Amino acid sequence: MSEFVDLETQDGVRMTWNTFPGTKQEALSCVIPVAAMYTPLKPIPDTPVLPYSPLRCRICRSILNPFSVVDYVAKIWVCPFCFQRNHFPQHYMSISEENLPAELFPQYTTIEYASSPDTGPKMPSVFLFVVDTCLIEEEIMFLKSALSQAIELLPENSLVGLITFGTYVQVHELGFGHMPKSYVFKGSKEITKEQLLEQMCFFAGRPRPNMGVIAGPRDGLSPESIARFLLPASECEFVLNSVLEELPRDPWPVPADQRASRCTSTALSIAASLLGLCVPGSGARIMAFVGGPSTEGSGSIVSKNLSEPIRSHKDLDKGAAALYNKAVKFYEVLSKQLVHQGHVLDLFACALDQVGVAELKVAVERTGGIVVLAESFGHSVFKDSLRRIFQSTDYDLGLAFNGVFEVNCSKDVKVQGIIGPCASLEKKGPLCAETVVGQGNTTAWKMCGLDKKTSLCLIFEIARKDGPESISQHTSNQFYFQFLTYYQHSDGQMRLRVTTLSRRWVTSPADVQELLAGFDQEAAAAVMARLVSLKMEIEDDFDPIRWLDRSLIRLCSKFGDYQKDSPSSFSLSPRLSIFPQFMFHLRRSQFVQVFNNSPDETAYYRMILNRENVANAVVMIQPSLISYSFHSSPEPVLLDVTAIAADRILLLDSYFTVVVFHGASIAQWRNAGYQNQPEHETFAYLLKAPREEADTIMKERFPVPRLVVCDQHGSQARFLLVKLNPSVTYNSNNPPPPGGDIIFTDDVSLEVFLDHLQRLAVQ
Amino acid sequence: MESASPFAPGPPRQRPAMVPNPTGIVRSMAPSPAPPPFGSAHPGSSHPVATTFASRSPPPGAIPQGPIAGNGPPVSGGFAAPRTVPPPWAQLAPPLAASSSIRLPTPSAAAIQDSGPQSFPGSPPSGASVAALPTPFVGPPTSQPFGRPPTSQSPFSGPPGSQLHFAGAQYSQRPMAGSTNSQLPLAGPPTSQSPFLGPPTSQPPFTGPPSSQPPRPNTPQPPFAGLPTSQQFGGPSTQTLTGPLISQVVGPPTSQPYAGRSSSPSHMTTPSSQPFSKPPTVGTSFGSPVWPSQPGQMVPSLPGNVQAPPRMFGMPPGMPGQPIPPVPPAMGHSALAGPQVSAQSKIDPNQIPRPVPSSSITIFETRQGNQANVPPSATSIFVVKDNGNCSPRLMRCTLNQIPCTGDLLSTSSMPFALMVQPLALPHPSEDPIQVVDFGESGPVRCSRCKSYINAFMRFIDHGRTFVCNLCGFTNETPHDYYCNLGPDGRRRDADERPELCKGTVEFVATREYMVRDPMPAVFFFLIDVSLNAIQTGATAAACSAISQSLADLPDGPRTMVGIATFDCSIHFYNLRRASQQPLMLIVPDIHDVYTPLHTDVVVPLAECRQSVEQLLESIPSLFENNKVSDSAFGAAIKAGFLALKPTGGKLLVFQSVLPSVGIGSLSSREAEGRTNVSAGDKEAHKLLQPADKTLKTMAIEFAEYQVCVDIFITAQTFVDIASISVVPGTTGGQVYYYYPFSALSDPGKLYNDLRWNLSRPQGFEAVMRVRCSQGLQVQEYAGSFCKRIPTDIDLPAIDCEKTIMVTFKHDDKFQDNSECAFQCALLYTTVYGERRIRVINLSLPCTNMLTNLFRTADLDTQFACILKQAASGVPVNSLSQVREQITNLCINILHAYRKFCATVSSSGQLILPEALKLLPLYTLALVKSIGLRNDGRFDDRSYWASHVMSLSISLAVPLVYPRMISIHDLTAKENDGSLSSSNIPLSSEHINDDGIYLLENGEDCLIYVGNMVNPETLQKLFGVTSVDGLPTQLVLQQFDNDLSEKLSDVMNEIRQQRCSYLRLRLCKKGDPSGVHFMSYMVEDKAPGGLSYVEFLVHVHRQIQTKMA
Repeated sequence: MSEFVDLETQDGVRMTWNTFPGTKQEALSCVIPVAAMYTPLKPIPDTPVLPYSPLRCRICRSILNPFSVVDYVAKIWVCPFCFQRNHFPQHYMSISEENLPAELFPQYTTIEYASSPDTGPKMPSVFLFVVDTCLIEEEIMFLKSALSQAIELLPENSLVGLITFGTYVQVHELGFGHMPKSYVFKGSKEITKEQLLEQMCFFAGRPRPNMGVIAGPRDGLSPESIARFLLPASECEFVLNSVLEELPRDPWPVPADQRASRCTSTALSIAASLLGLCVPGSGARIMAFVGGPSTEGSGSIVSKNLSEPIRSHKDLDKGAAALYNKAVKFYEVLSKQLVHQGHVLDLFACALDQVGVAELKVAVERTGGIVVLAESFGHSVFKDSLRRIFQSTDYDLGLAFNGVFEVNCSKDVKVQGIIGPCASLEKKGPLCAETVVGQGNTTAWKMCGLDKKTSLCLIFEIARKDGPESISQHTSNQFYFQFLTYYQHSDGQMRLRVTTLSRRWVTSPADVQELLAGFDQEAAAAVMARLVSLKMEIEDDFDPIRWLDRSLIRLCSKFGDYQKDSPSSFSLSPRLSIFPQFMFHLRRSQFVQVFNNSPDETAYYRMILNRENVANAVVMIQPSLISYSFHSSPEPVLLDVTAIAADRILLLDSYFTVVVFHGASIAQWRNAGYQNQPEHETFAYLLKAPREEADTIMKERFPVPRLVVCDQHGSQARFLLVKLNPSVTYNSNNPPPPGGDIIFTDDVSLEVFLDHLQRLAVQ
Repeated sequence: MESASPFAPGPPRQRPAMVPNPTGIVRSMAPSPAPPPFGSAHPGSSHPVATTFASRSPPPGAIPQGPIAGNGPPVSGGFAAPRTVPPPWAQLAPPLAASSSIRLPTPSAAAIQDSGPQSFPGSPPSGASVAALPTPFVGPPTSQPFGRPPTSQSPFSGPPGSQLHFAGAQYSQRPMAGSTNSQLPLAGPPTSQSPFLGPPTSQPPFTGPPSSQPPRPNTPQPPFAGLPTSQQFGGPSTQTLTGPLISQVVGPPTSQPYAGRSSSPSHMTTPSSQPFSKPPTVGTSFGSPVWPSQPGQMVPSLPGNVQAPPRMFGMPPGMPGQPIPPVPPAMGHSALAGPQVSAQSKIDPNQIPRPVPSSSITIFETRQGNQANVPPSATSIFVVKDNGNCSPRLMRCTLNQIPCTGDLLSTSSMPFALMVQPLALPHPSEDPIQVVDFGESGPVRCSRCKSYINAFMRFIDHGRTFVCNLCGFTNETPHDYYCNLGPDGRRRDADERPELCKGTVEFVATREYMVRDPMPAVFFFLIDVSLNAIQTGATAAACSAISQSLADLPDGPRTMVGIATFDCSIHFYNLRRASQQPLMLIVPDIHDVYTPLHTDVVVPLAECRQSVEQLLESIPSLFENNKVSDSAFGAAIKAGFLALKPTGGKLLVFQSVLPSVGIGSLSSREAEGRTNVSAGDKEAHKLLQPADKTLKTMAIEFAEYQVCVDIFITAQTFVDIASISVVPGTTGGQVYYYYPFSALSDPGKLYNDLRWNLSRPQGFEAVMRVRCSQGLQVQEYAGSFCKRIPTDIDLPAIDCEKTIMVTFKHDDKFQDNSECAFQCALLYTTVYGERRIRVINLSLPCTNMLTNLFRTADLDTQFACILKQAASGVPVNSLSQVREQITNLCINILHAYRKFCATVSSSGQLILPEALKLLPLYTLALVKSIGLRNDGRFDDRSYWASHVMSLSISLAVPLVYPRMISIHDLTAKENDGSLSSSNIPLSSEHINDDGIYLLENGEDCLIYVGNMVNPETLQKLFGVTSVDGLPTQLVLQQFDNDLSEKLSDVMNEIRQQRCSYLRLRLCKKGDPSGVHFMSYMVEDKAPGGLSYVEFLVHVHRQIQTKMA
């Protein structure tokens, strides 16, 4: 599997099948779709950034790459996608076999072009804070302090704006020197961009142009009128801090039997329109800090009456959540607006209650926004995550803006769509498959916000219908992909990253081994997770367990080694051996078993899943478990209840939570304070080791995971137990090992699952 | 009730202006709780005058008290005021006196004051001679032809002499004509009677006249039979034009001589008094033929007696003083006609009736001898003693006797209405209105009509029951309120209980009268900060005015203030914040407004005074660079309303431009009207109607939540006051108009207007109802209020200046001897949060006699009524229609009088009822007033109309017929009473090029500078040496010289009197401003109207046409 990781290191791409099934038919029989997980901004060491514009094919607009055939004499290059012969322009005339431009170096399959300073101005990034004020005093204090920390960390040249909301929306005019000043909008009423233009006096004293869409300085908005609301961080830090410091709770009284009146949707809509007016087309983020459910405006998720509970998954399934569809529709419209403007919506949802992440998901995901869900603004998950966004350390998120992602492929491969944080630009072309998955029917996608780790899942379709005979007629069974990503780098520069890949077809349909050799189990698990999540969301009456089981059975039937109807004869190639285990855990994961979670949590998990790379997705599906004990050095152990032992410390990383689990004896010793005694230095070390490891994990990860430190038999231990394979339960035959534990569940264990799989696969 | 006392003596409530009386039951209001209307000068303006202005109440000492001085009722303390009467022979030279008075005001004025008193002792001649001397040149004959014998009296402020005369007349006339009209035959003779002189001395002159009446066949004319008494007080109220003498008669019916009004009918039958009756009949006739305009008609009718005596018929031909041979009355008319046609120019305009101000204080007892007294003129200075009827300041009726039937009323053509000014300022020396607390049970009321206990409710059955004076229902006396009756049939405690002996009392309201706790005093200021307002300095002026006025708001924790500004959006300010700095909250949605905060938009003044002041100081600079020229006025007041909605309160709006955006936005209709001239003339009045219903609907909602809107318009252009004024007009507020606003000269007035608005006595969340005796019903209320149910009017705010007109109609008959009662009840909350019911009672006698109606007609009130009716007609009818209506009304009234009250023989004369002798002048002035002139701007007219609707009587008259005095010679005049005694008729004849004149109408003050003025005078008054050096925008400064100080004194006096700071404007001859000034000369012939003389001719001709 390491070869796949190497490939990823080079280009940021992992594919389910690294050798492609030869025909459409065969691809279908392979069960796992042909897909690529691509991380466009993955930091790749030594990738050169070329300070000039790329050379494009005259016909297909693909970019000169190492796979192009170059005639050094004629100064001609042949496009590998359309086989068009292109002349090099004048400034490439010195090209020769010894004097290659960087883009033709074979190792630079991924390369970046940067706009020269004179072609594109550096655009400051814009941060518009949208802050909920319907909070209890304590929460508001937490939020204020977190925000003021964040403000300190803001890049100096970035522009900042502030909107607060509760019953009403307040747009703060930070550029007004005399006194704090804000525009107040009614929460229950939608305001269009036009109205905003009118009402915020953007044309005060001057005739407004009477044609077309008006936005930005180019259309006649004076910089001064924009600078009222968006100011360089360095200029407005004082004002911003003083406004935040005095930020009161929403002053409108809330009856005891009612929820606070919170107009999240109106606030976001106004924020979007404001950015649309002031900085259209340049990178900007709306950072929404929401502390409770939206009850006012088009995006409200629940009525104010406390006797009405917030929708659950059950309500959604039954269609009993009256406001849900309306809200989703609203946010779909909002997401279109944001995508059009190239702006990002980030969501920081911190409340014990649901705040409406499920409804907001569409807007956040399509714009590539960041989402953080925590119980409180005082929680480290929120505080540390927020800090991470602005901190420029090694773990810098590398926030980029305003990206456009495009795909080029060779003939016979089409794109069904992308599952991930992007939005279709509806650029149709011959490359588009008829079947659409996720954001499809296009060859270009908008990525309003993206960062180093943002990973797209591209689903391909093999369009080739003819048999292998025709393949042999080709000179080569190689074919190519080219991924183009334009984006506004965090330093304000516009860049273009080009990744060009080559893969080959399976030469003969019968060559299962060849196919298998290119199968990437982890990537497949990640893709299946995204797929099943997507289907659960958009397909009515979709049975994810059944779909996953059938897929797995079909896969095993096709690629397993067995005699028909003889389960015991069944074996799987190492290329495939751990895939069933992934599927087992995926079935048990929060992505599929949604009923333990609120719709908000589910939406949150899925949004993270859809933007993470393969490695992280795998952790989400099948958490890693490391054991610390006196007997051995830290070692990964099976994700099984049998891993629990009284004298062990377990470190579980399930991506969203990191659990440090002390066995019963360890806990006793620790409580007795042995670690403080010099003679038990090793014990102290043993206690410390998993914590350090956990810290390391948390430092790298965004959003910062929740750290749970617990003891065996403690209540918090459930965070561990829920993830473990229930091989020992209250009614299983085998007793737990001494000091071990049991899980109270009726769920099947991995063994039972695999038994059934074997039985069904051989039928 | 365990307590024996009907009054639960609650703990005395503290309130600044209240002085608890020792018993703790009845509290009295300090005489002048109102702060002075004008405080220290606006800092911005260096007006030195203002400081002296500070105390509002006119110094009583300043005005000579005495029966003589005033033209008001002569009564003081039951002592019948002696009037100087020109001696008989003085009349011989009436013209002399008359002319002299006009030309030489100073001497004549002096004559009045000095000679008047002296004459009592019985030396009339001396006084008369003084008057006569200065004007030897005017030949008596000339005046006579015009039938203006009484001219001599005019210099003497007519009244003095005439009284006696008419008194007699009244009696005598009745029998004869069957109506009270009094014709004044050459008036002269009667004047000579002085009550004190006793008949013998004074009458000799008269003896003649009585006998001289040829026309009256049945006049037996016993020379003096019983006359003296009756004459003195009979006060026939009629006057002919010629006889200005008579005018004062009305008021005085003071004492016993007059006592039984009931007795008057009996007189009717007694012809005995006739001898005098003639002369007394005051109808002076203008020889109708006089006027050139009617030559055709008149001439034929005239026998052609050129030599016809100038006087009326009534004149006994054989009058000793008369130079002219007696002429049969009928001939008299015609005779006049002849000569006058040819010599119109000889008509001496000085002879025609003009208001004659008095500077003396009179004391007015509202009732005497169980009879209502006829109140003095609303414009005079008087002190009221409330002994049963309310003070006429609070409520007065157009008629002081109520016609028994509707027919009688319609025959008279006179309007029948009450003017109610429920919180009117008292005179400082009047007793305060007493506050009565009935404790838990609340005031005693009639159980049927719910009227409140008052002095006219009759207790019977030993006090166990009482009969309601309004509905006649017999109620049981509440146990706690029981009291035995005295021998006179009154309750023994009647005199101790204010509600049983006073016309006006205030009851403490109980819970029953509150739908919620009494509201706090809340003031919300809304300031225009649009481009125009900033640039013209209006915003700065408003902020500074508010800031200074804060000190005058009621003290206490319950006083709340809020501030918002607006241009194309509305800016609220959160004034209560941790940091001192306020927070500006902008409401940009001007189609659907809201308040941005739940609390803290309106804050307690005591807590936040500093931040409020700070904010006001910074507002002008905050918006210094504002480029927004739009104004969302409608949305702003809506937003202000929302802020006030929980409590109610006053919304004070400072507006500078036409509301152009948002709710209730308006278009520049004026300009549209102008471009469309052809349709414009016919439809012009439509521009005086509100543009649409939006603001009206809003205003009704405001009123429902007790929000009152006052609007200060500081505009440079059209702002559509017609539409805007609906809001204050419906919410009990008012419009202040500063056009064109000048940052130099207007801030002073703006500040003082605001200050007075905030500090004058006022009430909130008021409901008012007027009840009247059975037989009448309220027809309509008019003024600034909101009416949601037919019987009551809602007044979100009511102040001391707001006047409400209530018209009545008959639904039944009254008995001739009965009294008709009116009761106005005003339930309101004081600025200190006390709930009160002010009950104002007026009981007037009923009469079957048209004569009585005319005799007791109240000119000022009637005129105010006509004015208001004209104003309400302005938006509905075209200007010419409105003018015609009021002219016709005048004609109809005079015609009614002429037809039913004057003698038959007088057909050729214009005969005016004494009480209404100024009606034609006022009517003419009204026709020429800004509101009814053709050339007025729409805004001016709308403002005028809205201003008039709630205007008090005492301000209504000057508004239409302003006061003009000369100021270049101020120092030369007498020290006291300089203001009132030196009024100049509003005619350009009286304007000299070397003079400086001051004209004021209670609103504006114009200073006119002729082009030949002595530079020294200019230097003294204005600090410049030439007319050209005068600034166009005048800020009056006080210089260190007599004249300037005097002018300041005069200004202050006027301001105090009008409770208004007055907008100063300088007018120069030969300048547009001079033309403007001249437009106030209502007696002149103007492009838009007749001269006074012409108008009289017109009226007369119309009457004649009707008679024929």
